[in-house]
Amino acid sequence: MTTATAGREVTYLEAISQALDEEMARDERVFLMGEDIGPYGGAFRITEGFQQKYGEWRVLDTPLSESGFVGAAIGAAMMGMRPVVEMQFADFISCAFDQITEVAAKNHYRWGAPVPLVIRAPFGGGVHGGPFHSECPEGWFFHSPGLKLVAPSTPYDAKGLLKAAIRDPNPVIYFEHKFLYRRIKGVLPAEDFIVPIGKADVKRAGSDVSVITYGAMVHLALEAAELLVKDGIELEIVDLRTLIPLDKEAIYQSVRKTGKAITLHEDNKTGGIGAEVAALLAEECFDSLDGPIMRIAAPDTPVPFSTPLEEFFLPKVSDIVAAAKKLAAY
Amino acid sequence: MEVLETWKTVKRADLLQMYYYLRLTRALEDRITALYRQGRIVGGVYTGNGMEAISVGYASALERDDIIAPFHRDMGAFLVRGITPGEVVAQYLGKRTGPTKGKDGNVHMGDLKRGVIGFVSHLADNLPVATGVALAFRLRGESRVVVTNTGDGGTSRGDFHEAMNFAAVRKLPVVFFCNNNQYAYSTPLGLQMAVKDVVDRAKAYGMPGEIVDGNDLAAVYLAARRAIQKARAGEGPTFIECKTMRMHGHSEHDSAKYVPRELLEEWKKKDPILKADQMLKQIGYADENTFREVGERVTKEVEAGVEFAEKSPLPEGPETLNGVFATDEEIKP
Amino acid sequence: MPTDIIMPQLGESIAEGTVVKWLIPTGGRVEKDQSLLEVETDKVALEIPSPAAGYLTEVFVQEGETVPVGTLIARLEEVKPDGVVNKVAGVILRHMEPPEGGRDYYSPAVRQLAKEKGVDLAQVTGTGAGGRVTRKDVLDYLAKREAAQPTSTRSAAAPSASEEVLPFTPMRKTIAERMVKSRQTSAHVVTFFEADFSAIARFREGKTLTYLPFVINAVTRAIKDVPILNSSWGEAGIVVKKDIHMGVAVALEDGLLVPVVRHADRKGLTQLAKEVTDLAERARTKKLSPEEVQGGTFTITNHGGFGSLFSTPIIHQPQIAIMGVGAVQKRPVVINDAIAIRPMCYLSLSFDHRVIDGATADQFMSKVKAYLEQSPWEKYL
Repeated sequence: MTTATAGREVTYLEAISQALDEEMARDERVFLMGEDIGPYGGAFRITEGFQQKYGEWRVLDTPLSESGFVGAAIGAAMMGMRPVVEMQFADFISCAFDQITEVAAKNHYRWGAPVPLVIRAPFGGGVHGGPFHSECPEGWFFHSPGLKLVAPSTPYDAKGLLKAAIRDPNPVIYFEHKFLYRRIKGVLPAEDFIVPIGKADVKRAGSDVSVITYGAMVHLALEAAELLVKDGIELEIVDLRTLIPLDKEAIYQSVRKTGKAITLHEDNKTGGIGAEVAALLAEECFDSLDGPIMRIAAPDTPVPFSTPLEEFFLPKVSDIVAAAKKLAAY
Repeated sequence: MEVLETWKTVKRADLLQMYYYLRLTRALEDRITALYRQGRIVGGVYTGNGMEAISVGYASALERDDIIAPFHRDMGAFLVRGITPGEVVAQYLGKRTGPTKGKDGNVHMGDLKRGVIGFVSHLADNLPVATGVALAFRLRGESRVVVTNTGDGGTSRGDFHEAMNFAAVRKLPVVFFCNNNQYAYSTPLGLQMAVKDVVDRAKAYGMPGEIVDGNDLAAVYLAARRAIQKARAGEGPTFIECKTMRMHGHSEHDSAKYVPRELLEEWKKKDPILKADQMLKQIGYADENTFREVGERVTKEVEAGVEFAEKSPLPEGPETLNGVFATDEEIKP
Repeated sequence: MPTDIIMPQLGESIAEGTVVKWLIPTGGRVEKDQSLLEVETDKVALEIPSPAAGYLTEVFVQEGETVPVGTLIARLEEVKPDGVVNKVAGVILRHMEPPEGGRDYYSPAVRQLAKEKGVDLAQVTGTGAGGRVTRKDVLDYLAKREAAQPTSTRSAAAPSASEEVLPFTPMRKTIAERMVKSRQTSAHVVTFFEADFSAIARFREGKTLTYLPFVINAVTRAIKDVPILNSSWGEAGIVVKKDIHMGVAVALEDGLLVPVVRHADRKGLTQLAKEVTDLAERARTKKLSPEEVQGGTFTITNHGGFGSLFSTPIIHQPQIAIMGVGAVQKRPVVINDAIAIRPMCYLSLSFDHRVIDGATADQFMSKVKAYLEQSPWEKYL
């Protein structure tokens, strides 16, 4: 556990841990469920020390039953609790797909009962995890009306969005990128703050090409942006932060300014969120487009294990640089 | 104990109250079936015909602030909890005055204020949810209980096992009913499971289980009451298998020709309302007059409900877009 | 330097050859002397070695095709082509080719910008791929165009101590825009008439009527005589309006508004006076509704309030005329060869010469003058 002290630099992982700790202290309705989150502290140690502080019942070690305990979280949420469920890896969320998409997502729509539930899903690759420990499953849920999906890229956004998710009366899937856990650091304010759900953030302003992205790819885009400055190309990087509901205005504003757009995500290309953004741009910003919309994404395969294969699979800084150069020259 | 003796252990007022609900459930579902056959209801109609004692029995054993997480054969439970016949018919007709305002159909009703969890079509999904409801009670130290139900088919789903397991591990205040009506659509019990009695599964998860005659109102009620008391006392979940028979098809469009005639005839004689009539008469709590009066009463109520529903407005197209997300006003952030 | 691959002569008197099989995929690398393709004639089948090392970037003749000897069948490049389709990794799966038509292709952004700013794209230099006009090119063009038009606003240096900058109000911006636009739209010509207001002055005595209701009355009647003054320039032709909605310019502290008296021809002097007073009051106190400043078909501007005699007012689009009323001043005039002192008023009609000519304008104004000087005003109370 870490305590928030002003001015101290924390990792992305610590920011998530802080958010959980603060929300549990602030609101007795908040409790945690997941595999190995109790004495073990969670597969990634995010809940280390939590059970000692909050007790066995608020930091519940569940049996290996994703469908069962997500369903239970839904029931508890309907009774006024605020459960935060941890998927050990986002890949296992498929076991609970039914409860999430049929029960949680549709509940309020059908009979007006809110489901204030948060599911934390450590997603993304680059950790030699192979097909079942590196997946980006957000695409499956993007298409389920009734769910909110968020994906922070910085410690600040990670803490603020998790708090916002816990306080939201709707089911929220919180995609935390495991590659960023210990690699990204930031200084956080000591006082309570949230990052509103549904608002993107321009992580870098630029005039030439808009890159619409989220998760770990934000950092690759930032790296690419620095390299492109030498070529006189200024990237504007729009970090979506929330996937549903999409901050359409922020996307449009950026592309209306630059006239050129690249969508970038680690998820598979076909039917990924980049596809929806591209369609929206074609529909709403047609008269602002000064070049074709480009999509950078992983190819349509499961995530491979072997290092050269995974390197081929994941989008790289050089991909972004090459695409931006081409688009800028168009 | 002999059946009659067990009936005598239930208070007269309670029995008569439950008897009324048995009749109301039957009358309402018969009327809905008739409307369906007349083409006045669209979509599916699923009744609990011949199984009313189960839902009325378990729902009647609960306190006001307990919760039910029923499934589609449990119309009796909805009525006991206070959903009115008018609301039920409005729901079937897709009217704005139904509990889902037209968003969902048939028995997919829910209302937190009356303690009813709205279930989904995916059978046994309601079981983990019920476990979660019980978890909330345990977390808050409340002495409330939740009863949930599913069919023999529902117990084949992973969610059934995960819910039972989790509830037993954590000793949660949930009672699991199973309406074993011997058919899951056209699938007979023998193709659904390799065990003869579903109750064997209770032991597998480490919770007590019992078999009850699902057509015996008092038996169901007493078994429910015992299990509910146990749960309320913090002694954890119980599994109750109700043996019964599905007298109609899976839904009203299903002629159920796959069910042997003899089986239906055998169970017709064990009709729960017939049995209740016999018991009540034998004990001396009621007679033909009572039955007739109750019959008239429920018929009137059902007719009033149908009239209310038919006069109610349908929702308008754009209402489709309402209610996808909850707002902060609905629950304190 | 690209290397051309041509259909070789595979024997004397052989005039053509058939490409049987390409042994290197398009975009693939081939070394010098490595077999590049299989060719066949009716006499012989041979593998053709590559004349150089490089990448097979272009294939012009497909398998199974027969071409004459010497035909260019493929091309090798030294440098690996990037962004080529056979790169499956999830990046650029399309060629970023310059658009067909190069210079003549305009992207949606370019077309939209040109439309909004009135740019003739043929005048714009294209610096994009294939000579394409990019959005930046249009923006650069616009910047140059603006620089070429010296306006006083271009000295946008910070104001010195001897200057004061008054920020633009929304009303000022609107007036500025509208005035300039009107001048650019209509062909303004002004004709001046003088009217004798003595009859009106006599009639007014003891009554609380200003000159304005009389003027409105005279103008509406003159419009009935010469209806084309109550029209606008339409797409298919000049649209003559049957209803007369009189705009009356009202001076405000920081601008002006033109509230409209609807169906002014149907109202008597008293009612006109009442309405004009009310509209002017509400214009000054900012209590007019949007409908009340829309739909006018002719405008009167009473510029004589501070002593102005003549004016060349700007037409209130989409109308085609506006009449200025100068100060009513006692002047010596000649009547029946003798000098008399009469209250006279100059009327300035600004009209759109696209729609009407001087003769029509003067015809209208002589009617206005006649009505002002010779009306039985009791009838019009």
